[in-house]
Amino acid sequence: MITKTAWKNVWRNRTRSLVVITAVAIGIFAGVFAVAVMNGAIDQRIDSVIDNEISHIQITAKGFRTNNDLGSYIDSVANIRERISGIQEVEAVCSRLYVVGMANTARKSTGVNITGINPEQERSIFKLHKELVPGTGNYFEEDDNSGLAYIGFDLAKQLNIIRYEINEDVIEKLKSSGLPEDMLQAINEFSGTRFNNEKDFQKKMRSVLTEEQEADYGAVIRDSAQKIRDRARFILTFVDMDNHQTGGVYRLGGIYDIPNSMFESGRVFIQDNGLRDLIGFPPNTAHKIIIRLHDIDDTELVTKKLRNMYPHLEVMSWKEIQPDMAMTSDMAEAMYGIFMALILAALAFGIVNTMLMVVLERTKELGMLTAIGMNKKKVFRMIMTESVFLSLTGGVAGMIVSWIVTAFTARNGINFRSMQEGFEAMGFSAHIYPDIGLEFFLIVTVLIIITGILSSVYPALKALKLNPADALRTE
Amino acid sequence: MKNYRIAWRNLWRNRRRTLITVASVFFAVFFALIMRSMQLGTYDHMYKSIIESYTGYIQVQDEDYWENRTVDNVFEETAALRQKIKEDDNVNDIIPRFESFALASSGARSKGVMVMGIDPQKELLLSNVEDRLVKYRLSEEAVKNIKSEDIPEYLEKNLDLFEGSSYSGDGRLQLDLNIKEDDEDVLMPLFREYAAVDNSYFSMGDNSALVGDRLSRYLGLERGDTIVLVGQAYHGHTAAGKYSIAGIVSMPNPELDNKLVYLPVDVCQQLYYAPGKLTSMVIHLKDNDDKAIENTIARLDDKLDSPYRVLGWKEMNSTLVQQLEADNKSGLIMIGILYLVIAFGVFGTVLMMTAERRREFGVLVAIGMQKTKLAAVMVYEMLYIGLLGILSGVAVSVPAIIYGYHNPIHFSAKLAKVWEDYGFEPVMAFQWIDDYFLSQSLVVVVIVLVAVIYPVISILKMKEVNALKA
Repeated sequence: MITKTAWKNVWRNRTRSLVVITAVAIGIFAGVFAVAVMNGAIDQRIDSVIDNEISHIQITAKGFRTNNDLGSYIDSVANIRERISGIQEVEAVCSRLYVVGMANTARKSTGVNITGINPEQERSIFKLHKELVPGTGNYFEEDDNSGLAYIGFDLAKQLNIIRYEINEDVIEKLKSSGLPEDMLQAINEFSGTRFNNEKDFQKKMRSVLTEEQEADYGAVIRDSAQKIRDRARFILTFVDMDNHQTGGVYRLGGIYDIPNSMFESGRVFIQDNGLRDLIGFPPNTAHKIIIRLHDIDDTELVTKKLRNMYPHLEVMSWKEIQPDMAMTSDMAEAMYGIFMALILAALAFGIVNTMLMVVLERTKELGMLTAIGMNKKKVFRMIMTESVFLSLTGGVAGMIVSWIVTAFTARNGINFRSMQEGFEAMGFSAHIYPDIGLEFFLIVTVLIIITGILSSVYPALKALKLNPADALRTE
Repeated sequence: MKNYRIAWRNLWRNRRRTLITVASVFFAVFFALIMRSMQLGTYDHMYKSIIESYTGYIQVQDEDYWENRTVDNVFEETAALRQKIKEDDNVNDIIPRFESFALASSGARSKGVMVMGIDPQKELLLSNVEDRLVKYRLSEEAVKNIKSEDIPEYLEKNLDLFEGSSYSGDGRLQLDLNIKEDDEDVLMPLFREYAAVDNSYFSMGDNSALVGDRLSRYLGLERGDTIVLVGQAYHGHTAAGKYSIAGIVSMPNPELDNKLVYLPVDVCQQLYYAPGKLTSMVIHLKDNDDKAIENTIARLDDKLDSPYRVLGWKEMNSTLVQQLEADNKSGLIMIGILYLVIAFGVFGTVLMMTAERRREFGVLVAIGMQKTKLAAVMVYEMLYIGLLGILSGVAVSVPAIIYGYHNPIHFSAKLAKVWEDYGFEPVMAFQWIDDYFLSQSLVVVVIVLVAVIYPVISILKMKEVNALKA
C-alpha cells in the first residue's frame, strides 16, 4: 500500500518530478557511458598487450630478465616445448631469441630489439601477424624467408621506409573520399612531390591548409599519401656470442601497426634460424619460451605447475611481467566508483530539494494522515520510498539509454583521431570500443538506491516533526 | 524598493531551499576548482620536468634536424650566431648540445643509446645533471643487507617493492619507502652504509661519460667501467670511442633513463667527426612565462633565417602535449557532467519557486506591479544563488589550493610505484589561482541565466486572472 501511494505521489506534480528524473537519467547516462569508454580502452590495452606482446606465460633462463645477457639461453628447447604442449590447459608454445642491436639505412640509424621467431609457431600464440598493414608484405610467407624482417609502423617511419607522395592517383582518391574542391586544389600544388618523412610532409601540408582543414582532413590526406619505399632494405647490426660485431642486410617482410608506439618503434622480427647462426648459438636453443593458454584464468595454476617442472628456469605470468597493467585495471575500478559517487552526490542536492518541497507542500495532508492514525514509521517509509522511486526511475532510464548507446557505439567504435599520438604513447588505442560489464549496472543500481534513501532522510525527519494539530491548521 | 533588495529578501523567505540550492552550486564549484587546480598543476609539473631535464623551452637547430635527426643535419657554432641570439632581451645564455644515436656496449651486452654532448657547466643552468647523480641504489645485495638489520616491518615490505630503484637524494627515497620522520635518524645511516653509490661529475675535455641509471643496470656499468660507443658519424664516417664512466644519473623520465649517455660536448664532437658543430642550441631564458616564451620565439624566428630554425617546447614535446591534452579533455568531460547535473538541480529549484508563487505573482501584478520588474526580481534572485554558490566554493577551495600549491602531494609506497611505472613522477601539484577560476564562475552564471529563462517567460505570459485562482 505504502509503495503504491508513494508511486502515485511521485506523479502528483508531474513537471517537478520529471525534472528530477531527467537530471538523474542524464547524470547516470553520462557517467555510465564515460566509464564504458574508459573501461573499453583499458580492456583493449590488456588484450593488445597479451595478444601482441607478451602472451600468458613466459619462461627464461634465470637472470635473463634482469641482465639481458645474450649468453643466458635455454637448452633443448624442443623437448621442453613438447612437454609443455602436453599440459591440458596449454593451447600453444613457441620460442624466441632476443638480441639487441641497431637498424641502419643509408642515412638513419636507431636502436632496436631484434627478435628471432619461428613464424609457424608464432601464428598460434600471437596475433601480431594479423596487424599487418595491407600491401607492405606477407609476414614470412615467401619461398625464402631468411632475409625478411617484420617491423613496426613507427620504426618504418623512423627509417624513412614509409614516405609520402602526392600524385594524380592520390588526388583522385581524395576526391572520391569527399575532400572539398578548394583543398584538392591547394594540395595539387605538390603533385609529383615526394616527402621523405611524415614531419616534412605535415609541414608542407600546413603551409597550404588552414588549421581547421587540417584537423578535419589531415589524417585522411596523410593516409592516402603514404607510400612504402619499393624494395626497402636495411642493415641490422649486433654483437655475437664471442663479442664480435655481426649483422646482415634485411628486406621488408611486412609492417605491423599496433596501439603501442614504444613497441612499434623498437621491435624487429626475423627468422630464428638465421639469427641463431649469426650469433653463434647451437641449434635447439632460445631465450624465451612463450605459452598461450586456452583460458587466461588458468594462468596462475599453470605458472605454478611449470615452476615445479623447471626449477632451474624462471617462469613468469603476464601479471608479473606487466604489473602496472594489472594495477591499472584494479585502480580503474575504484576510480569508476568514485566518479559515479560524485555524480550521485551532485544529484542528491536536487532530490533533497524536491523532497523537502514535497513535505512542505503536503503539511496539511501529512497532518491529516497522522491525525487519522497513520503511524510515524509509515510516514517516514512513504517519503523514503517516494524519494527512491524518483532516483530509481531516472537511474533505470539512464542505464537503459547508456546500455543502448554503449552497444551501438561498440559496433564501430569511437575514434579519437586527433589525439592518436598521445593515446598510443601510453599504449592505448585511439579507436575505442566502449564496453561495460553487467555487474557495473548492478553496482550503480545499488548506489542509486542508497542516494535515494540518504537524500530522503532530512525531508522525512522534517515530516515527522510536524505536530498533527498545527499541521492541520496550515493552509 | 530596488529590485535587488526585494530579491534578497525573497531569497530568505524559504531559507532551507535557498541554502540547499546554494550548497549544490558550492559543491560543483568546489570540486571543479580543486580538480582543475590539481590537473593543471600536475601537467605543469610534468612539462617542467621534461623541459628542465631535456628539451629546454626554446632550441635553435638546423632547419632539417627536427624532421630528420641525423648527424648530417648539424650547424656550425659561430660567434656571429651566438651574438645574434644573445642580443635578445630575454635570452640569458646559450647551452650547446650535440645529440646522436650509437650502439653502446660493455662486455657482452649492447644497446642502442642516445648520446648527448653537453657543456658540463652551462648545462647546470637548465637540467641540473649534477644533482641527478645517483646517491643510493637498492640493489639486491643492499636490500638483503638492510633487511638483516633490525628494521620495522613496513620497511621490509616497501624494500621488496622498490628493489632495483635508484635515488639522487634522501627525499624521494624516504617517500617511496614511506620512512617515518621519527625513524629517519636510525634508518638513514643503514642506507648510507649499504646502498650508497660512488659518483662524480665531469668537465669539458674529460674522456668520460655519465649514463642513465636504467641503462647502467642493463649494461652492468659502475663508476670506472668502460663503455664503447659505435655509430654513424658526420658525412658517412664511422664513429667509435671508448669512455670511462664518471657517474650514473637518474632521469625522471624512464624512457630517457633507459637510453641516455652524456659526454662532454667537445669529446662528443670528436666522436662524430664534427668539431665545432652542434645539433641544437638550448636557449636559456630570463623569463619563462608562456607569453614571454612565445614572444621570444617570434623575435628569434624573425632574426634567424635559413638554415636555422627556432623550436618551442610544445613542438618538441608534441607527444606529451597530446597525451596530457587527452587527459585534460577527459577531466573537462567529467566536470561537464557534474555541471550538467547541477544545472538540472538549479532548474528544479527555479521551477518550484515559480509554481509556488503563482498566486503571489498574480496578486502583485493585479495591484499594479509591472511584469518586467517582477521578472527582473526573479533574475536577481537566481543570480544571488549562483553568486553565493561561487563565493562559498571559492572561499573554501582557495585555502586548500594555496596549501596544496606550497605542499604538493607526494605519493609514497605502492601508489608511487604505479606512477613511476607509467613514467610519471609521483607528485600531484596544484596550480596557482588562475584563469580557470574565472571560467568555472562563468559556467555557473550561464547555468543560472539559462535556468531563469523559464520563470521569466512564464511571468511575462501570465494571465493574472488564472494566476490569482492558483
